[in-house]
Amino acid sequence: MKQFSIKRYYPIIVGLIVFAALSWGAAISCQIEWTGLFEGIGKGMFFLKNLFPPDWEAFPEMLQPALDSLILAFLGTFFGTLMAVVFAVLGAANIAHPIVRTISRFLIGLERSLPELFILLFLIAAFGLGSMPGIICLSLGCIGMLGKLLADAIEEIDSVLIQSLTAVGANKLQIIVFGIFPEILPKLLAYSLFRLEINIRLSVILGAVGAGGIGYELDYAFSMLQYHRAFSALLVVLVLIFGIEKLSAYLRNMLNIKANLK
Amino acid sequence: MIEVKNICKTLPNGKQLLKDISFSVKQGEFVGILGSSGAGKTLTLRCLNGLLKPDSGEVLVSNSNGEMQNISTLNKKNLRIARSKIGVIFQGYNLVKRLSVLENIMIGKLGQINPWRSIFYGFTDAEAAAAMEVLERFKMAHLANNPTGSLSGGEMQRVAIARAMFQEPQVLLADEPISNLDPGNAQMIMELIAPLAATVPVIGVFHQPEMTAKYCTRVIALKEGRIIYDGKPELNNAQLNEIYGEELQKVITKIAEPELNALNTTNANEAI
Repeated sequence: MKQFSIKRYYPIIVGLIVFAALSWGAAISCQIEWTGLFEGIGKGMFFLKNLFPPDWEAFPEMLQPALDSLILAFLGTFFGTLMAVVFAVLGAANIAHPIVRTISRFLIGLERSLPELFILLFLIAAFGLGSMPGIICLSLGCIGMLGKLLADAIEEIDSVLIQSLTAVGANKLQIIVFGIFPEILPKLLAYSLFRLEINIRLSVILGAVGAGGIGYELDYAFSMLQYHRAFSALLVVLVLIFGIEKLSAYLRNMLNIKANLK
Repeated sequence: MIEVKNICKTLPNGKQLLKDISFSVKQGEFVGILGSSGAGKTLTLRCLNGLLKPDSGEVLVSNSNGEMQNISTLNKKNLRIARSKIGVIFQGYNLVKRLSVLENIMIGKLGQINPWRSIFYGFTDAEAAAAMEVLERFKMAHLANNPTGSLSGGEMQRVAIARAMFQEPQVLLADEPISNLDPGNAQMIMELIAPLAATVPVIGVFHQPEMTAKYCTRVIALKEGRIIYDGKPELNNAQLNEIYGEELQKVITKIAEPELNALNTTNANEAI
């Protein structure tokens, strides 16, 4: 039969061959040396050995920075979600004017294309070191991802629903508050919880660059060659990320159950 | 009272969708608009509440003071006020599924209250009580606090009608209100709508000539954007043929043949 013929897979096979050839060419042009890989693994293992054991006495000192990072991530996600909602409403075709939508979608896309680190360095230049540029940076980071996801969620809403609210004489803002928000609320919560997980990880990295918190502790300990202390900080980071991921997964699961029950 | 005078609508590519449509509907009338797909039924209905602007002609709807106003020339604010007094029932999906039934009813008043108050404060207790009264009138008070998404299709359509009546409308429009429903529910919805015509003119778009014959007081038939029939709801076969054309004949034979075959086989099996 024709549909089981190998001819169906020709495009995929050709694609794989082309991809392999391109990778090979890229490796040659970037001068990747395979011996370097094995040497690196050896060095890394030595480094890991130096980490053990963790500095148990440093743990109480780590709690405050860990809490700082957590607060940084929470506040960043909170303000970021608020901003993302505004951008999402302005970027949804079934609510916003086409010109407004294009501008909003452009800004959302622009934010997504800027790495958070770049934004933070810019903000540090403007506001100086501290948690304030960190919070602003994480909030801005939400716009790119949440803004796009929510704008798409709004555009999925049936146009008849919006028409029926128009038909009772509701204005744009009333349509958004009484028609759009209730419909996207479960998605909004699920997405922002997911973003919170990402922001916890980001807050550690941003901390190392100058936003404070546990990331700063980690970076400082490494640069002072206090490997045992750095290992303690690393463990705190792991617990933090793992804990938030579990919590977020649990909450999102509850949301799903609730959404399915309706 | 609603009056339509010579409305026309033409697409930018020159295709005429509505040609010179005129009719008027008074209180006590339940008008069913019939026609095959693409005849302009829904388009006409959309012109009546300003969701669509006709290229020429007038749509006159009486406002709360009893004056007739042309809906297609109103500014944004006055159009909102006019719409708040026109109840519309859609085919489906016209309720906010994640809000409760009571909240969905109160949404009907959004056009009649201060927008800022509705957004920052919500609805007053008096409005909630009035909405409850409407629900009681439609025998759905026990569902008031249920999420609307948990209702069945027939119940949702009943809520949509209750919402439209909560607007205390000057005219009630229904865009294929029974197309998504099974025959039992469709009949129930028709029995719910028909008596409303005593207090408010009702105009509905339907696909079922047998339903309009049973419940409507008058039928308007459209074909290719033109009114070809306006009168008694009972239509004979020749008139139905004219409205639905060859299309209907094809559908009837298509449905009938397999069913007849199925009947023959079951009879044969029973005989064995």
